[in-house]
Amino acid sequence: MKSILHPSNFLLWATAGLMGLTLWMVFLWVPTETNQGAIQRILYFHVPVAWVSMVAIIIVAIGSVAYLVTKNEKWDRLAAATAETGLVFGALMLLSGMIWARPVWGVWWTGEAKLTTALILFFIYVAYLMFRAYFPPGAQRQRLAAIIGVIGAIDAPIIYYAANLWAQAHPPIVVGPAAGAEGSLAADIGTTLMVATLAFTFLFIYIVMERIRVRTTEDEVTELRRQAGALEGAAG
Amino acid sequence: MRRIIPFVFVAAALSLAVMWHGSITALAQEGVRVADGIIAGVTANEAGELESFALLNAEGDIIEVEVRGGETPTQYGLESQAGDRWVSNQAENPVESAQRLRDHQQRFAPVTVRIENGIALSVVERESGRLETNLGFLFAVFAITWGAFFAYIFYVSRKQRDLQRDVTLLRNAMKRTAGQQNESRREP
Repeated sequence: MKSILHPSNFLLWATAGLMGLTLWMVFLWVPTETNQGAIQRILYFHVPVAWVSMVAIIIVAIGSVAYLVTKNEKWDRLAAATAETGLVFGALMLLSGMIWARPVWGVWWTGEAKLTTALILFFIYVAYLMFRAYFPPGAQRQRLAAIIGVIGAIDAPIIYYAANLWAQAHPPIVVGPAAGAEGSLAADIGTTLMVATLAFTFLFIYIVMERIRVRTTEDEVTELRRQAGALEGAAG
Repeated sequence: MRRIIPFVFVAAALSLAVMWHGSITALAQEGVRVADGIIAGVTANEAGELESFALLNAEGDIIEVEVRGGETPTQYGLESQAGDRWVSNQAENPVESAQRLRDHQQRFAPVTVRIENGIALSVVERESGRLETNLGFLFAVFAITWGAFFAYIFYVSRKQRDLQRDVTLLRNAMKRTAGQQNESRREP
């Protein structure tokens, strides 16, 4: 039995604890925001999943560059596992944003800069994974997928700064280096948002680690099939 | 991986249960209708003074609302994008009223309007009205978020289990094949 201090166990318990704390803070602790009412609580899920989906594409790019430099398969596995998890978080970012926009803006979607760049990020993930799925396995596939991953990461800072670069309907940046004084959050809301972000980041890391384990097993199966084929060929 | 599934399930169940707990109602003044939405159109006269505007509510309906000056003018409490609040009324600032509403229209900034007989009594930044409708949207976000995580984690878990089974089967098959080869070599 693995110790609780084992990275996998630690992440599992830390994620579970932080998720419980997040739920308690979101529904029972943080006060209702006066302008938007209860629907503002979507922010505590929308912002963390958006943050994770942007971090994920940067990790895909880092893994891709490391693979291109070292040709070590583990970096390719990291990039592929992160891209798949990033796609899930990216889809949730778009869906939660659309559901928030419907009652607040009166529309599900608008061609606003931040929304459009976020949608592009989603399509980058889809393109990356479709490319990996349909291109024949081998070093060339990994190389070309890595290039898509690196180019895709350019979108992350554009999404982050979009609300400032093209001031449109999306609320201004409230966290990070580009957050202005007008974007500063009330202490309770800011604390809840930070805890929720940490919880979803832990969940993301846990899922990526597990997804890497699946990819490693997939590679093991492929190698075993190759060996089994060779063995049968020698026997036959 | 399967160990996280109970946690996700419990988190989803807890969040949905908390949302269903209790009911919230918003009361409006009798005879006065409260509508939330975004500005869909602004009509001004030749002097640029606001005459009426159109409000698009969450159901997709467009509500035409007139404004009035005089002794009981339409009141405004609107914020700029920077968060500065502008408080005035139709009698004092009819031109700026039109400009402010156009700014809200461009930004899709939501407003709450109190309407009596088709005339706006006040136009303010969106307030926390229609909470029961909001809760439906909040419920949708949580159901989708936890549903998606649950489905994805379940998919990854199943895939890992199937792959482990394949590894075991392949190893056993290879052992059998290697054993048969060894036996056939021993036979004269």
